[in-house]
Amino acid sequence: MRYAEPATVEEGVALLASTQNARCLAGGATLVAMMNARHLAPELLISLHRMAELSILTETPEGLWLGAMLPHRALADEPRLRGAMEVIRSAASQLAHPAIRNMGTIGGSLCLADPSTELPVALVAASAHAEIAGPEGRRIIPVESLLVDRFQTSLRHGELVTRIWVPRGGPGAVGHHLRFSRVASDYPTVSISLVLALEGGTCRQARVAVGSCGPVPLHVEAADQRLVGSALDAPALAEAGQLLARAATPRDDVRGTAEYRRLLIPRLLGRAVAQARERLHV
Amino acid sequence: MSDRLSFSLQINGEEHALAVAPERTLLEVLREELRATGTRRGCDQGSCGACMVLVDGEPRLSCLSLAVTLRGRAITTIEGVETAGALHPVQRALIQHGAVQCGFCMSGIVVTAKALLDHNPSPTLDEIRQALGSNVCRCSGYAKVIEAIASLSKVRPHE
Ligand SMILES: Cc1cc2nc3c(=O)[nH]c(=O)nc-3n(C[C@H](O)[C@H](O)[C@H](O)COP(=O)(O)OP(=O)(O)OC[C@H]3O[C@@H](n4cnc5c(N)ncnc54)[C@H](O)[C@@H]3O)c2cc1C
Ligand code: FES
Ligand code: FES
Repeated sequence: MRYAEPATVEEGVALLASTQNARCLAGGATLVAMMNARHLAPELLISLHRMAELSILTETPEGLWLGAMLPHRALADEPRLRGAMEVIRSAASQLAHPAIRNMGTIGGSLCLADPSTELPVALVAASAHAEIAGPEGRRIIPVESLLVDRFQTSLRHGELVTRIWVPRGGPGAVGHHLRFSRVASDYPTVSISLVLALEGGTCRQARVAVGSCGPVPLHVEAADQRLVGSALDAPALAEAGQLLARAATPRDDVRGTAEYRRLLIPRLLGRAVAQARERLHV
Repeated sequence: MSDRLSFSLQINGEEHALAVAPERTLLEVLREELRATGTRRGCDQGSCGACMVLVDGEPRLSCLSLAVTLRGRAITTIEGVETAGALHPVQRALIQHGAVQCGFCMSGIVVTAKALLDHNPSPTLDEIRQALGSNVCRCSGYAKVIEAIASLSKVRPHE
């Protein structure tokens, strides 16, 4: 294996494009684990840690740009991730365990596209976009169109994710993430990320995404719509939960059967909404 | 086998010149090149915390860290936790509370607890449990470990 630490994104892209079996190294948490297990033997490893622009957070009136190399721990401690954007802080502060939060990055999480990880779910709930650099320049696409299947992204040969755009969301919006796992710090059996806004007692905005229940974060427009205009009362939550449960395509695994996961979705949706409302104090 | 890279790592305050393949993890370099076997290999997958070291004072899994990426960083291993031949307060507390069983997980627990107390001298029981979330003890004696670390808290937690 060869190893490179380019200082710019452009050099990195040129290296990625010039080699068939090249990989980016972000936090290394999963990539090195896969190399240790001999599941993966890249010909060239391109470390992203010297590309300064990948560690920058930029604030604009409309939202935040998060550099791909920001570790989970930095996001968990980031006070500018508030309102709707707090869904990302909430997910980053709860996922995995402290040492993984020190190492794993938001870009690594997204590009790994593991259906049981949580930041991709939070990013879908936040309507986030990814900026991608490649041999033809840069493009920006919704996170939902980057995540195409289990462990599969729509990144093309020679491309890497540079930063992630998180919009501020409507006034009064709040974001929250709920993980349900057998023990704290295990991968979740089901996770739910949501962004809500209320006006009086009425829900004005809702976007819900579910993790560990299909190849990519599950987002069902009709479920969001069932919540909008409601008082987020029990019937609305139960029906939205059923719409999500019906659309889910979970697997059986050691953390729960598919049937159990489907049963959990409506229950956890109710809990996640209650916790988000506590933050809104309504 | 890949070509070897030449670089040095700062471990427990000393520079160590190395020539290792880029895929070598810090854990492998510590145990196999430097024969510093206090850092343990459990799962090699980031799940057990036996291989924990500190990098710039923060807990880090050495089994998931390629050595070459840690040039210029201050690495502390269990061997660097004693000062002048005296055990660290965390080590003494673990012994006093009878928290050590087979001891396999202890290097990781000691460095994790040291980092916690360095940042937060008066952690609550819950903060101690959270901080040790990365460390699995196969003898499963968590209660005494938590008690031992809590005994070092500057303000006794009221929980
Ligand atoms: C023991 C363990 C437990 C975990 N538990 C959880 C959990 O409970 N919940 C959870 O959400 N997550 C969990 N994770 C996943 C973790 O949070 C990280 O998201 C994950 O390890 C990937 O992040 P990384 O930065 O380490 O990426 P790496 O391992 O370095 O890379 C992952 C993949 O993405 C590619 N890549 C990385 N960055 C880019 C980029 N910018 N552009 C293009 N490609 C890129 C790499 O080439 C590689 O294929 C766990 C991981 C481990 C090892
Ligand atoms: S050996 Fe590194 S976490 Fe288990
Ligand atoms: S004391 Fe035996 S593994 Fe923890």
